Amino acid sequence: MYDVPNTEINVEQRDIKISARKVQVYYGTTHAIKDVNCEIQDKTVTAFIGPSGCGKSTFLRCLNRMNDTIDICRVEGDITIDGEDIYDKRVDPVQLRAKVGMVFQKPNPFPKSIYDNVAYGPRIHGLARNKADLDVIVERSLRRAAIWDEVKDRLDAPGTGLSGGQQQRLCIARAVATEPEVLLMDEPCSALDPIATSQVEELIDELRQEYSVVIVTHSMQQAARVSQKTAFFHLGHLVEYGDTSKIFTNPVDSRTESYITGRIG
Amino acid sequence: MTDASMDTPTPRRKKISLVADDARTKKRNKAEKRFQAYGIGAIAIGLFFLLVLATSILRSGIPAFTTTVVSVEFTLQQEEFDEAEGQLFKTKAYSNYFISALQTTLTEKGIKVSFDEASIERVMGKIGSTLREHYSASPDTLGQPVDFSLGASSRVDGYFKGRVTREGLQDSRFLTLADLDLVDALAEAGIITTTFDWNFITGADSGVDNPGGAGIGASVVGSFFMMLVVLFLSLPIGVAASIYLEEFAPQNRWTDLVEVNISNLAAVPSIVFGILGLAVFIQFAHLPQSAPLVGGLVLTLMTLPTIIISTRASLKAVPPSIRDAALGVGASRMQSVFHHVLPLAMPGILTGTIIGLAQALGETAPLLLIGMVGFVARGYPDGFISGFIDPNSAMPAQIYTWAARADASFYEKAWGGIIILLIFLLTMNIIAIILRRRFERRW
Repeated sequence: MYDVPNTEINVEQRDIKISARKVQVYYGTTHAIKDVNCEIQDKTVTAFIGPSGCGKSTFLRCLNRMNDTIDICRVEGDITIDGEDIYDKRVDPVQLRAKVGMVFQKPNPFPKSIYDNVAYGPRIHGLARNKADLDVIVERSLRRAAIWDEVKDRLDAPGTGLSGGQQQRLCIARAVATEPEVLLMDEPCSALDPIATSQVEELIDELRQEYSVVIVTHSMQQAARVSQKTAFFHLGHLVEYGDTSKIFTNPVDSRTESYITGRIG
Repeated sequence: MTDASMDTPTPRRKKISLVADDARTKKRNKAEKRFQAYGIGAIAIGLFFLLVLATSILRSGIPAFTTTVVSVEFTLQQEEFDEAEGQLFKTKAYSNYFISALQTTLTEKGIKVSFDEASIERVMGKIGSTLREHYSASPDTLGQPVDFSLGASSRVDGYFKGRVTREGLQDSRFLTLADLDLVDALAEAGIITTTFDWNFITGADSGVDNPGGAGIGASVVGSFFMMLVVLFLSLPIGVAASIYLEEFAPQNRWTDLVEVNISNLAAVPSIVFGILGLAVFIQFAHLPQSAPLVGGLVLTLMTLPTIIISTRASLKAVPPSIRDAALGVGASRMQSVFHHVLPLAMPGILTGTIIGLAQALGETAPLLLIGMVGFVARGYPDGFISGFIDPNSAMPAQIYTWAARADASFYEKAWGGIIILLIFLLTMNIIAIILRRRFERRW
């Protein structure tokens, strides 16, 4: 039933990029994330799996403080990136989000041209000194997102006019254009067909060379295909976290086993 | 069915043919047809009333755009001028010259009609003083033929527009049946003609005694300056307030209170804003009375809630994914609002603004209280600044004033004013639609 992970079984030990300790998230009175401890490695793809409503997206959004935009949401505990507490009062979430890029479940290009979509981040962060620099960044980002060949002749066309898969890759290009260190992906392939999905998955594998990628997915096959580390969430708890190969072949917790064999979730 | 015990077998659908409608389907289809008929009926009634409104406005208002003019070519010699100036009743002497000249002209054309000074005065006003004023001001035209174009009196004007008829006319000090013979004769001679009345569009208001000279131009300018004030105050304030409330303000009891109050303000009768304006802007702040600036301020207060409500609605309608996308690439909240959300909400904001402005344009009640109604706008403002602070009237106020005056031709002017008001409104709407098109984007 499971695809054999296309990555090596033994993941070499890498630096810790993100470290979460005793993270609690409340939506009003609802306790959505309970006591999650988790260390995410650099230059690794980490997959969050689990049934709907288990808190994996919520936890993901904690990592770049996107939950700040929700009034009733409260986060407790420590989350550090490169040893710095991201919930420190001195941290500007805007700077944090430039460092931790995000790709959303639904492709959400700006209703602007393809070029402007990708150039927006570099523009507001001042990454390009001039138009030529910007052109270089846009081309490099679109190439990394494996969409350059499809759009190079129509960079002025609206980003919203692309197909769903192209839009999602455009959003990935937009996210990598700001040169983040961590890329968070919230079910990036849920709206895509299998071909677009495989393109995005290939892309994720390439992005691993430079970034730490965290991906939330409902597809266990996808988690098995693209990730080296997998975290299984259930009812707000991080039930099990470890090498993907181990989680899928020899889970420790019975709930993990039930989920990946299809008995719960 | 009523007996819901466990033993009763679950009711099953009867086998039905697909080509024949069963009773339920028939009922459903009928209900749908009925509903559609209600809709069509409602639209038809609406269109009917619109048609009635449009025809009555046009029928009553179109005559206001034409005027009856008496144009006579008249020559006064130097000697005659000197002689008239030497007499005791100077204007009477001028009148006599004019009457004899007119008599000659009519006789030359073979038209026989008798008239005296009084009937001339009833038909075209005090001709003697007009002539005297002209020749005193420009004596160099003496001895040359001069074209005098005089407005016919209100009743003569009415006679040509069908407001006054021979049958319905009772001899009075304003007009007699004999005068109408003179009028007919003058019309035959081509001296009395009906022309397009530019003065109605460009002119200023006249006193109650001169309906023919009344124009709406000055109050159009007044309305224009008022709209400028409203636009440049209520749009930025309204949009800024909505952006703050919608995108930045925390959700708590205070913002709820503000929200409820804004919604309530939108329903406050406009005369309340009028008395507020009187108290605050005129009595407290000592701003000039009857000034478009004050009118604009009052109307701004009235328009703000409308703009805030519609702007908030259109900000809400922007998909949250756009905000997420902007925040996700590291834009600040303000950048995400101004770069992405606001441009998408622009069409809706413009629609709300234009509705607010249109409402403000047609508002009369608050203007009553700040003195823009009783005022007779006799002239244009001198410049841009004085356009705001000089006393002026506004279109609806001017229309109201005319409708309240006794002379029937003022009533006609009121209808004409309505047409101008509607044209002004249409122009505003067209500009808004063009702007909307410009801002509208696919997503």
